Amino acid sequence: MKSEENKVVKNTEQQNAPSLKEILKAEEAELKAKQKAEKLKKKQKVAYDINGKVIPDLNVKHVRGIESKKSWYGFYFVLPWIIGMVLFFIIPLINSLRYSFANVIPEEGYMQLDWVGLEHYVYLFKKDENFTTNLLGAVGDFFTSMPIVVIVSLILALILNSNFKGKTLFRGIFFVPVIVATGVVMMHLTDPFGGFGAIVQLSSSVTEDAYSAVGTSGGMDFTELLNSLELPTDITAWLSSMITDIFNTIWTCGIPVVLFIAGLQTIPAQLYEASKVEGATKWEEFWYITLPSIGQTLLLVIIFTLIELLTQTSNPVINQAYALINNTEYGISSAMLWVFFAIIGAIIGIVIFIYSKLCLKRWE
Amino acid sequence: MSTKEIQLKKTVPALNKHKVKEKATGLVVSIFRYVLLIAISYIILYPLFALISFSIQSKADILDSSVTWIPRAPTFETYKVAWEYLDYGNSFLNTILIGMVSAALEIFSCAVAAYGFARFKFKGRGLLFGLVLLTAIVPVQILVIPQFLNYRYFNLGYLIDLINLIPGVNIPFLDLSDSPFTFWLPSLFGVGLRSGLFIFIYRQFFMGLPKELEEASWIDGCNPLMTFVRVVIPSSGVVFLTVSIFAIIWHCNEYYQSVIYFSETFPLSVMLAGVRDSLWHTGVLDMYLAPYVSAACLMFIAPVLILYLFLQKKFIQSIDRVGIVG
Repeated sequence: MKSEENKVVKNTEQQNAPSLKEILKAEEAELKAKQKAEKLKKKQKVAYDINGKVIPDLNVKHVRGIESKKSWYGFYFVLPWIIGMVLFFIIPLINSLRYSFANVIPEEGYMQLDWVGLEHYVYLFKKDENFTTNLLGAVGDFFTSMPIVVIVSLILALILNSNFKGKTLFRGIFFVPVIVATGVVMMHLTDPFGGFGAIVQLSSSVTEDAYSAVGTSGGMDFTELLNSLELPTDITAWLSSMITDIFNTIWTCGIPVVLFIAGLQTIPAQLYEASKVEGATKWEEFWYITLPSIGQTLLLVIIFTLIELLTQTSNPVINQAYALINNTEYGISSAMLWVFFAIIGAIIGIVIFIYSKLCLKRWE
Repeated sequence: MSTKEIQLKKTVPALNKHKVKEKATGLVVSIFRYVLLIAISYIILYPLFALISFSIQSKADILDSSVTWIPRAPTFETYKVAWEYLDYGNSFLNTILIGMVSAALEIFSCAVAAYGFARFKFKGRGLLFGLVLLTAIVPVQILVIPQFLNYRYFNLGYLIDLINLIPGVNIPFLDLSDSPFTFWLPSLFGVGLRSGLFIFIYRQFFMGLPKELEEASWIDGCNPLMTFVRVVIPSSGVVFLTVSIFAIIWHCNEYYQSVIYFSETFPLSVMLAGVRDSLWHTGVLDMYLAPYVSAACLMFIAPVLILYLFLQKKFIQSIDRVGIVG
């Protein structure tokens, strides 16, 4: 009996086998067709409801926002800027690039250019010893002070953004550098040469005084204290340079603090309320809500600080270029500034690239 | 006793303990906060106070090592000398004429461009906005020399060159150097001092404005320009205030371009930069220079500082509400 039954089963299987395959094939074909249809639907960007009927998309199809309606109007708004940009930005930029490849002799109405190819650039890197040291100094200074400026201004902004008594007073004080720092006054305050030594001493004595005010080392020499810690000499040197630089650092923080506060204000309060309900600590709140929400502001601050630090009045490269301009050596000074600008551009590019890869993506 | 009351008795002390702990940490945090803020305020205000103290020291006070803050024989002679060397009246007027006018122009031209970038999706918008950022990044020093020539022999964007191609016609180039046009023209077109940053700030703000108001004014028949003037500008006073303050301050402090463009009519910043050297050349000894320079610095800061004191509250509030997202 059993064998008979088996046979029957086998028979039926054999009979059904091709048909099963066919069914499978048919199913596959159906699936593919469905997928195709879905893809088409996606391409058309039309929404379907459960029954497969088209939902009229109010936003896209029928009622248009101003953004897309008569979008060419935007062109008229931007047109004056485009004219200005070409006249006062693009043309001078290209001209200065041309100057960097030539000996420039000012003539009535135009510049006489004697093309020398890459000579200026070769000169800068091979013969002009000051330039490479100045350049490395400027870039090195930037890399040590940029993180400090960003971190300090973020901390200050967080403090000034919280609620406490005297908030307006402190904010008022903290914006003073915004007014004074970006200018000639700063040049006088930090001028290391000549008869204005008194105020220079002032900027170094202010740091000492600040320490005695905070109480970390009352009147004690700070570098001695650092040396007694027996850290590696590199770290000690870096720390002490940081400390003597505190005056400059704090004064560069003005505008970053303003930008950070503006960014912090845009974080919706509901996020913090939700995190309180979930029982998050302040530390977690900072890492999971505050920092991701101001990711873009942080990038803006980094780029702003970068430009600010690299084009400061005290920057040795720019001083050197200005001295050359005064000697009417326009060609070399243009080449110098272009090398400098290329380096700034490269740094900005790398910073944006790394930042968006590492931080912005993760925070989204 | 009901069970509820027992539960309450149990939970109340626990809550109190928690509260006490919270209060203690709160106290520590606030003490730390004030110490930090006061220390940093000290660093910020120190130079200002020192400038004031220096500026009223007489020669005797400088030699007297016991004088640190308050001079024994205060003198206001320094201000008089600094006024003369700065040529304060004239150079202040120059700063107003050059800086303030172009700040005013810039405030509006940047807003117009930013509105175009924020509200309309025209072709090439991304590329053009990239160029806005480029104008913000390129250091101004790189452009200064070609810019100067551009103004010295101004050809209306090669228009005069084109006209001169006609045989027999020879129009001379305009000499705009040493005139306020050097700052007015770029500001008028929205490519002035730090315009890139301003356009950026404006754009962020305009993008955050609700569209409905503008749509309503469109439906009522306003064209986009009228909508901008009548609807957008009145509702964005905050961002205008922020940008105005920055524009005014930066134009006052502008030095790098002015020193190249101007040869006779100097703004205050250029005069201040040269004040130490000109004093030194008239034979003032190095050690006596500081009071005069301090006085000059204070006279330079004063107008902006007074303006800031008046606008301070509004400015701080406006920063809260501008919201630069980036």
